[in-house]
Amino acid sequence: MQNSFISKIKQKFISNPDLTFAFFLAITVYSYFGFSVEVFASHNLTFAILERFAVLGLIGLALTICIIAGEIDLSIGSNAALCAVIVVKLTDPIGAPLAIVIGLFISTGIGFIQGFFIAYLRVRAIVLTVGTLMLLRGISLVVAEEKTVMLTDFRVPDFITTKFFMYFSPASIMVIFVFILVGIFMRFTKYGREIYAIGGARKESLAAGVPIKRPMIIAFALSGFCAGFAGAVIGLKSGTAQGLGLQYLLLAGTVAAFVGGVSILGGKGGIIGAAVGALTVNFLNTGLLFYALQVHFVQLFTSVLLVVVIVFQTMSRIFDQYQTRKAFLESVDQRRKNLIAKRDNSLQKS
Amino acid sequence: MQDLISSYKKNLLLSILLTFFVLLFLYGIFATNNYFTWFNFKTIIRDAALYGIMAIGLTFVTLSGNFFLLSIKETAAICCVSFAMGMSTGYGVESWVGSFPISLLVTLLIGCLAGAAQGLFIGLGGNPIVVTLGGAGILYGIATWWTDNLVISFRRPNDAEWLGTGSFLGLPTITWSFILIAILAEFVLRYTNFGRKVYLVGSNRAAGKATGHENLSMAIIVCTICSALCAFVAVAFAAQMSSAQANYFSAEFGSSGDMTILVIATVMVGGNSIMGGYGNTIRTSIGAIFIAMIDNMMVLNGLNSGPRIVGVGLMIVFSILVFALYAKGSRAQE
Repeated sequence: MQNSFISKIKQKFISNPDLTFAFFLAITVYSYFGFSVEVFASHNLTFAILERFAVLGLIGLALTICIIAGEIDLSIGSNAALCAVIVVKLTDPIGAPLAIVIGLFISTGIGFIQGFFIAYLRVRAIVLTVGTLMLLRGISLVVAEEKTVMLTDFRVPDFITTKFFMYFSPASIMVIFVFILVGIFMRFTKYGREIYAIGGARKESLAAGVPIKRPMIIAFALSGFCAGFAGAVIGLKSGTAQGLGLQYLLLAGTVAAFVGGVSILGGKGGIIGAAVGALTVNFLNTGLLFYALQVHFVQLFTSVLLVVVIVFQTMSRIFDQYQTRKAFLESVDQRRKNLIAKRDNSLQKS
Repeated sequence: MQDLISSYKKNLLLSILLTFFVLLFLYGIFATNNYFTWFNFKTIIRDAALYGIMAIGLTFVTLSGNFFLLSIKETAAICCVSFAMGMSTGYGVESWVGSFPISLLVTLLIGCLAGAAQGLFIGLGGNPIVVTLGGAGILYGIATWWTDNLVISFRRPNDAEWLGTGSFLGLPTITWSFILIAILAEFVLRYTNFGRKVYLVGSNRAAGKATGHENLSMAIIVCTICSALCAFVAVAFAAQMSSAQANYFSAEFGSSGDMTILVIATVMVGGNSIMGGYGNTIRTSIGAIFIAMIDNMMVLNGLNSGPRIVGVGLMIVFSILVFALYAKGSRAQE
């Protein structure tokens, strides 16, 4: 029983090299900082990492869903910034919970509209979202009236950072909950499988009768929801929001998604990968804090991580192609040999 | 003309919107004070030249079917910093201090190297967006690392002044270079072997591969062209300011938030197909001038940066929708 379980896991790792590489990267980064920074493997820091995970994990999840659907949502940073501005602005007059609900509603709506246009007009998502990236940025600037929006009472959002069970806060619990829900949704429901289908093989799935509009809209609405959630958490935690802020989320989220093993061609990857990828990026960011580097160094190292993953993915694809070609040539050889043997046989008989 | 009228009738909603925008534009021209003056026209062209040159470089990338590069402003940042370093310190060599040709050469070399490296990854099968997102972080990190995020300035009477602030026949040098580069790029795309290959690879990658024009070499060449033009703009900009900092091209460059997105917007508003294979640099130049005109109009009307960014964003989304509706049923929606 035990043995078969382990062998099952082993089989899974062997069959999915990208996920294996993600785990490998996560463990490498964690153990590097764990050994070189004294306090890295402590309870408090684990709490801090999970707090960061609440933001970055969501963005990574959002991009993972979009990339699984074969598209990429570039407007995610602007969407998060807009939601942050709205939530921070509305918290004073109507209270935090209602403000979060309104912000999430608007972000999800934006994602929904984007998905609708992408599916209806059949434009590529990168094309449309590069436009909405700028549009939403301008809108959030207008909403924020070109200023940094601030809470008047900084004690209001304390409830999302209270610590319990040693590692968790309400924000990170919620995010883990969202992860599990989305994981079940993507894995076991019809709608989730449709997202995989249009990402992996769009023409084939269209021919097989999968509607393109529904999964596309669901994927982008989910992505908008996650971006809005992340924006709300960031805004409430810091108590401030800027219209032009949060653009770094796109890079960090993309790195998280790609470390987690999604393929840009779509249809590959999963929620576990997204979580591992986001954790890896968090380990890196948190660990670099202890070296007291400037902000741009964090960006530099995150980008290096992305390039490492891209190189790995490209190399594995090229290797795959090489293997397929080799197998094909071998089979051709085999067939030729068989034919020659057959001819010789028939010659000998006659 | 007949086709135009019939397609106008077919898409009623679209044509109403289009007419509305044209009327708004005409109203803006005549209602804005000091808009229709020679001086203002020169300002517009000068603004357009800065991102127009970059957009012409990006047009090559877009036409060859590689979407766009997200590392434009970072390439410009590192080139700008490198030029200023050359002018002020001579890269550590005493006799090179203030030498314009050497600084220019080194900067162009850095730009070409950055472009070629990204093009290599793109050509090997990486997605252009993701590769250049990573490349952008690395380039920006190196630029800030090199300068410690300080402003590098060099003395005023220098060899580079003619490029930054000089003018020729009443037009600034940068405007002349915009015009020359636009004509040259159009000539290359239309009449040379290489230009036709760009269209071939962009419009049908499989056919390109079958006839021996792989995307690998094409991606490297077009990314190098784009980055070299970014380097040129960065040099002109640094020469104009007599100083450079890594975040000169970052948030709130000019007015529209972000240099990279502005350049991409220029290519899109001009009406080039983002999927590749359709478009030319004249469209890009017109897009650049159009964006500069609208932006200038909004500035003269005293609008803040928020509404201006909304304006440019609306232009991008609108042009995407228009071209998507017109291209319905064609290969552009693949």
